[in-house]
Amino acid sequence: MDYKYIEQLLERYFQCETTLKEEEILRSFFTQEDVPVWLTKYQTLFTYEAEKEELLDENFDERILTMIEQSEPVKARVVTLTQRLMPLFKAAAIVAIILTLGNAAQAPWDRGWDNPREEYAKFHQQQSDSVTIVGPVQAENTLTDSVSSVPTPEIPKY
Amino acid sequence: MKKVSFRNDVLPLKNKLYRLALRITLTPEDAEDVVQETMMKVWSRRNQWDQIESMEAFCLTICRNLSLDKTRKMAGSEQSLETTEFETPDNSHSANPEERAIQQDRLRLVRQIIDSLPEKQRSVMQLRDFEGKSYKEIAVIMNISEEQVKVNIFRARQVVKQRFLESEDYGI
Repeated sequence: MDYKYIEQLLERYFQCETTLKEEEILRSFFTQEDVPVWLTKYQTLFTYEAEKEELLDENFDERILTMIEQSEPVKARVVTLTQRLMPLFKAAAIVAIILTLGNAAQAPWDRGWDNPREEYAKFHQQQSDSVTIVGPVQAENTLTDSVSSVPTPEIPKY
Repeated sequence: MKKVSFRNDVLPLKNKLYRLALRITLTPEDAEDVVQETMMKVWSRRNQWDQIESMEAFCLTICRNLSLDKTRKMAGSEQSLETTEFETPDNSHSANPEERAIQQDRLRLVRQIIDSLPEKQRSVMQLRDFEGKSYKEIAVIMNISEEQVKVNIFRARQVVKQRFLESEDYGI
């Protein structure tokens, strides 16, 4: 047996530079029968954890599972509450999307929606500039147009 | 479904949790309470289970925190050095009853020394030497840096070695 190696490992162990595998080697070395005399003093330091103390009894599992079963109904109720609300949220979201899409879809049908005043102002200008070109029917329409009663000489800059 | 995996996680971990709780609280009754509380807490967070990388680290972290809470609640720094619960199976190789008694005394001495260390050092020793965790895993469980893990293990091992060898020198 090469004790030099063990002694090296010991040095590194107390410098906390050993890997888990190396510590395992030290442990199995010290649990064997013939440990050299000058190393026996370390023996207990490596064998004490092999003695796993008396642990939790078998009833422990039963007790825990019973405790969980008792708490189960409370937990179940909390879960169903959120679950019930979920579909409502989803439905509301879908409706909101449809409405938004619907609104967006209407925009192309109504070009003049963006700058109504500008559009009408332009239209009026056209009339005054080329009244001879525009037919009498259109001129009449301009006069009967309810919007023309609204004074819009200037275009407000937004 | 959840209950099945709880069963698979109760059995292997409960003793590991118990050992850690015992190492921190130093009282078997408190340690058992802690393990129970840990189990209940883990159960109450089962909707997080899918996001957890290491179930063991998760449980050990909760266990340690609950143990620390418990020790703070208990009067000051009263430490119960009751070692009568730790009647260890006799692994000594000598048939001589006197030798066996000496062996038991040594084991008890080491445990006492470890129990008298500050909590952080006790916990790292427990997680490293008993549970075989890597420095990285211990850092995660205890929420400290790997460097701090190493420092604590270093101090712990030095103190244990020193005190143990001193006692040995005085003869048992």
